Amino acid sequence: MSIQIKNVSKRFGQFTALDQIDINVDTGELIALLGPSGSGKTSLLRIIAGLEAPDHGSILFHGENITSVNPKERGVGFVFQHYALFRHMTVFDNVAYGLKVRPRKTRPGKQEIKEKVKELLELVKLEAFAGRYPSQLSGGQRQRVALARALAVEPRVLLLDEPFGALDAKVRKELRRWLRKLHDEFNITSIFVTHDQEEALDVADRIVVMNQGKIEQQGSPEEVYEHPVSPFVYDFLGNFNLFHGRLKEGGLDYGQEQAEGERGSEPLKAVGYARPHDITIHREDIGGECIKAVVHYIHRVGPVVRIELKRIDTGEFLESEMMKEVFKELKLDAGEQVYIKPRELKVFIPEDYSI
Amino acid sequence: MNKKGKGRAGRKGVLPGFGLSLGFTVFYLSVLVLLPLSTIFINTAGMGWEKFFKTIFDPRVVASYKLSFGSSLIAGGINTVFGILLAWVLVRYQFPGKKLIDGLVDLPFALPTAVAGIALTTLYVPDGWIGRFLGFKVAFTPLGVIIALTFIGLPFVVRMVQPVLQNLEPELEEASASLGAGRAQTFWRVIFPELLPAALGGFALAFARSLGEYGSVVFISGNMPMKTEITPLLIMTKLEQYDYAGATAIAAVMLVISFILLLVINLLQWWSNRRYLEN
Repeated sequence: MSIQIKNVSKRFGQFTALDQIDINVDTGELIALLGPSGSGKTSLLRIIAGLEAPDHGSILFHGENITSVNPKERGVGFVFQHYALFRHMTVFDNVAYGLKVRPRKTRPGKQEIKEKVKELLELVKLEAFAGRYPSQLSGGQRQRVALARALAVEPRVLLLDEPFGALDAKVRKELRRWLRKLHDEFNITSIFVTHDQEEALDVADRIVVMNQGKIEQQGSPEEVYEHPVSPFVYDFLGNFNLFHGRLKEGGLDYGQEQAEGERGSEPLKAVGYARPHDITIHREDIGGECIKAVVHYIHRVGPVVRIELKRIDTGEFLESEMMKEVFKELKLDAGEQVYIKPRELKVFIPEDYSI
Repeated sequence: MNKKGKGRAGRKGVLPGFGLSLGFTVFYLSVLVLLPLSTIFINTAGMGWEKFFKTIFDPRVVASYKLSFGSSLIAGGINTVFGILLAWVLVRYQFPGKKLIDGLVDLPFALPTAVAGIALTTLYVPDGWIGRFLGFKVAFTPLGVIIALTFIGLPFVVRMVQPVLQNLEPELEEASASLGAGRAQTFWRVIFPELLPAALGGFALAFARSLGEYGSVVFISGNMPMKTEITPLLIMTKLEQYDYAGATAIAAVMLVISFILLLVINLLQWWSNRRYLEN
């Protein structure tokens, strides 16, 4: 089931939650809506599910306009952040709910429901818990029940609103992998909302980065991570270092000494971004545009060593990451003076200028 | 809730004073509730079995039991249905005058019951404002008793159900709708079971209050022997005739029956609650 979101806008009073959103989702895709809270991602998901109506624009399922169709007829599975399980029903009854409420004509028989629920509970590895109530389950188990419940009605589209937001890191990782597996097995179109960039990068086929009701960028995880189109996207997808400087031919002049007063005309100010793993550390000045810095602090836990550095010229703090082996070769210690160089620098030019 | 919440063995709560507060509670309840109630049984015990049975199975008294318990149950039932409806309207919708209506709900609590009784009687007598439009008699029939009891029991269910409804997550309804359920199905399968324990609790309170109600009923009922005499009225009558033992005998019967009924309601409530309050 393909989904088209066409020019959708939504306001809540004075607040613009969504501003002319256009997204096309192909059949079988797993899409992540990524953004900070208040970026409109949840509103968009709710509009797709029919729980909220857009002020403008339309939603198409497989080319068919369903903007004014009741949520109950949309064939959408919705998974809520806080599970929204029916607490007076057992796990079995929760999963069976969507089948039991069908009109008599299309409702499967008792035995059929039983088998279907059993199958789903096996899929979410909860077959032993069929008789329990939601209050007797852990958070991860509850979310799995919620997922099984949503899948029971064989939805054409699966929508998940921060499905793992309320769970702890370990369970989250496990469920994430498992969502990917389910998505592939069921061969449905899924959209999930998250503010966790790692989650989005890890699971999704395509990421839609949202900010203040607008789409900042959409593309594959690699595309979005490697080629962010705006400082916001760069910022949102991971840690980064800032290099303030001036534009010059073929790049950014970020060294303090050179930047000062060498050119007659006023060069354009700009900011360069570099991920911590793109900051290389050298013992000697290797030429080019090396910056002198002092090692401030070293975090050694794990396979990746994180090093905090302080620029000598500007006093700004930078962060570098390297593999443990590389770190061992360098034999760094806190307080030592080193030369650093960004391997790759992403420069965003202020919007009103162009080169 | 913690099942072993007695706080004794080793586990210390943040606030001290378990011994003191429990001691006070027991003392307070004894003086205020147990002691007066026990005198009923002590007083009754003086009259001997034969006289006791003669008093409590007197046909006039038996008729009053039927009226009292029957009309209290019916009034409680009416209050449960319309109390849920009222609570629903007060929680779910915004409209001008909502606060006023919310305040009106408590009025039957505040009004002296005799005033309520006189007001209701004036309305429902055959030539009263409402009575003249009805083709049947209301005042001076069991129906009048039910109306009076419905009036005084109104706030209980509303006030019990209101907070539950307020705390109900809207996501539950959205989940139900996205799973394909219609509005009626969502109400009966998802919302109603959530409200049931609170509604039962409100019903129990309204029922208990109705059983003991005297002031508002005696005016509208007309107090015809065998027809519209409620049990509290018979107790009053006996007291006025200085038949203390007879009065307490009937009171004892009422007490035992209402205790059993309330116990059953509480068990029902516990049963409907049990599943999701575990842990």
